Formats: sequence, structure tokens, C-alpha cells
Amino acid sequence: MAESVKVLPEEIQNLIEVQEWDMRTRIGVQRFRELRAKSLPTVALDGELVYESIIPGQEELIQEIRRRYEKKNPSIS
Amino acid sequence: MQNAGGKKSDRYIFSTRGVCPPEIHFELQNGRLQEVRFVGGGCPGNAELVSRLLKGKPVQDVLNQVSGILCRNETSCPDQLSIALTKAIEGSLRPARSFRLHSDTSSYLKIALIGDLNGDGNLLAPLISSIRKKGADAVYYIGNLSDLLLQDPSLIKKIEKEKFRIILGDKDRKYHEGKEVPEKEGLRRIQDAISRFPEVFSFTLGGKPGVAFYGKYLFTIEDFSDFDPFALEMNMVCNLTDLMQDETVFDALKAMIPHFTAQVILFAERKIWRHWRIEGIDIISVGKSGEAEGIAWGMLEAVNGTIYFQTIRENGEPERSA
Repeated sequence: MAESVKVLPEEIQNLIEVQEWDMRTRIGVQRFRELRAKSLPTVALDGELVYESIIPGQEELIQEIRRRYEKKNPSIS
Repeated sequence: MQNAGGKKSDRYIFSTRGVCPPEIHFELQNGRLQEVRFVGGGCPGNAELVSRLLKGKPVQDVLNQVSGILCRNETSCPDQLSIALTKAIEGSLRPARSFRLHSDTSSYLKIALIGDLNGDGNLLAPLISSIRKKGADAVYYIGNLSDLLLQDPSLIKKIEKEKFRIILGDKDRKYHEGKEVPEKEGLRRIQDAISRFPEVFSFTLGGKPGVAFYGKYLFTIEDFSDFDPFALEMNMVCNLTDLMQDETVFDALKAMIPHFTAQVILFAERKIWRHWRIEGIDIISVGKSGEAEGIAWGMLEAVNGTIYFQTIRENGEPERSA
């Protein structure tokens, strides 16, 4: 799952900070439960679950990141 | 850690820097490297090859081979191993004090399970009688032993005579660490008795690898590592599913099962008798053996590659699930 995030274009990478949790670890499970996730893989944006059990297409992911970025930075859009 | 030869070996966990695997786990015995695992990341194939090539070699020979190899960040997995071994020899890296893991190398078809006895040693005789009637290749007791020994220290002889396999509970750990002290004298005696038994036990049932443990207290043991043997199974059962109580995360559990080593998992903290089969893995909650209605125990049986579990109550009808 993290691979699909890592291959995003540089302009998008510059907008985000990526954190990956390893579900084999206690801290990974703790984060999974904090997010109230239910299945894997899971992508959260701004601490909110957005994709569960699916790997979104690159365009869809880019759109969602842009939408959230513009919402937080209205002067830029 | 007890190995096949019976001689004590020291197990170490080294936190790496600058390489993909976050930890290196290794064992030293008589100046030789007995096991080495690069865990949590990196190239598993290469790491396995390195492990096989180095197994059993004198530490000095290993150091000569692995020191100074560079891969990234001016270090490498072999270079990190050389740092770890050097620290272990110098004494600045001390042996890990994680849980005690014992392994039963026999393969069984029928295993009897005894759970918490609430310190009531009088239940042992009827349990043994009931188990004998049904017949079992081995008997596993997963629960607190110290409670029983406080009541009657001679019970240890009965347990040994019956060749029970003991997997210690949470109170045993407290006694072991001296965090719980009995009112009467006898802490030392209890500590000595329980120090011989494991907190985690691996076995084989019908050709399937299995693991037995009590529950969440294992994570409080100093030096516990997420990459210890069977730590993944423990983490998934205890933390992800909260002792199999949160069924909403079973889809996530299913996704992690392909990474499991064990195909049969026994735990006892929840103190109810129950069996789940998920993605071909059998997970059993070992319940109380002392119930208001009498005694209860579990029978695990492997038949043609399938694990069957039934709870046997002294005065009740067996409940069977497959």
C-alpha cells in the first residue's frame, strides 16, 4: 500500500507527509485501533480513514489529497 | 533459553541503525553464534542465507567476515551484526530477558487442555481421571501455577508425575518478578518452581505447528520484541482482536494470518472455552477448568488434517466444534 503513495508525483509528495505503520508491531496495531480501522490495507488522510481494503487508483488518490489540501489552504486554490 | 542440547545459550536483541531490518536477534553459546535473524524488514532471502552460513561459527570468525561491509548509510546488515556481536562480547549489550519459550518436539494427535483452576488443587484428581477416560497424548495446563503451589506445595510432584506441560499465567509472572509476595513464607520456593516452566510453548498437533500462551501479560515482559518467535500471533490475538472479542477486525486478522508461523493457537486469559477457525487457522480460548457445575477441560484432536475441539464437562454433554 505504501508503494502506491511513494510513487505519487513529486508535486503531490511535496504536499504530504507519509507515515507507514507495520501491522506486525504493537505500535502498528495500536494505530490501527486508534483509527478504528477494520481491515487491511488502510489509508488514512489527516487521521481520517479514507480507504479500507482497497488500494485506490493514483488519480483518485491525487484528487483526494488535492481536495483536502485546498480545503485547508483556501487561499491557494 | 533452553536449546536442544540442554546447555544454556544467551539470546540478544540488537536495535540496528541505518539498515532496513530494525532488529537483529541472535544467540550465543560457548563462544559460537547459534542463531541469527534479521527481523522486521530488508531482504529476507539474503538474510536467511547469511543466517545459515553463519550458524554455529565461532564469534571471532563471524566478526572477521562481517565487519566493515557497506550497503547504505555507511553500514550494512553484516556490519550491524558485527557491532552487535562486539557489544555482546564486551558486555555492553546484555542478554534479552524476554519470555521463556519451550518446544515440544513430539507430534501429537490428541492434546488435553486444562485452564485456570482458581488455586483449587483438589480439582486436579477428577480432571486427571476424566482425561484418562478419554485418553490424550499430552496434557497442557495454561494458567497460574503459583496459586496452586501456595495452597499445596506438594502438587508440583503430582503435576510432574502426570507429565503435564505447564504454560505460566499472569500471576506467575508477578511472583517471578517479586511484584506479588505471598502472605506466608514461600516466595523463593514458588519462584524456584515456576522458573522451570515456560511462558510460551510450541508444539505440533497432527503435523500442524502450534503455540500456547496465557495472554496480554507477555507484552509487559522486559525486552519483549515484536519479532520474537510467535510474537505476531500473540499481538494479533491479544491486541488486534482484544482476545478474539472484537470480531469487527477479523478481516484484518485474516490479512495477517499468512504471516503466522503457528496454525493452532491456544490462549487462556479470557477464561472461556471457545474455538474459532479462521482462514484455516484454529484459535482456541482455554476456559476455566473449575466451574460452578464441576470440572471442565478441552480436547484438541487432529483427524485427517482437521483440528476438532470439544469442551468436556464432568456432568454435562460434550460440546463439539470442527
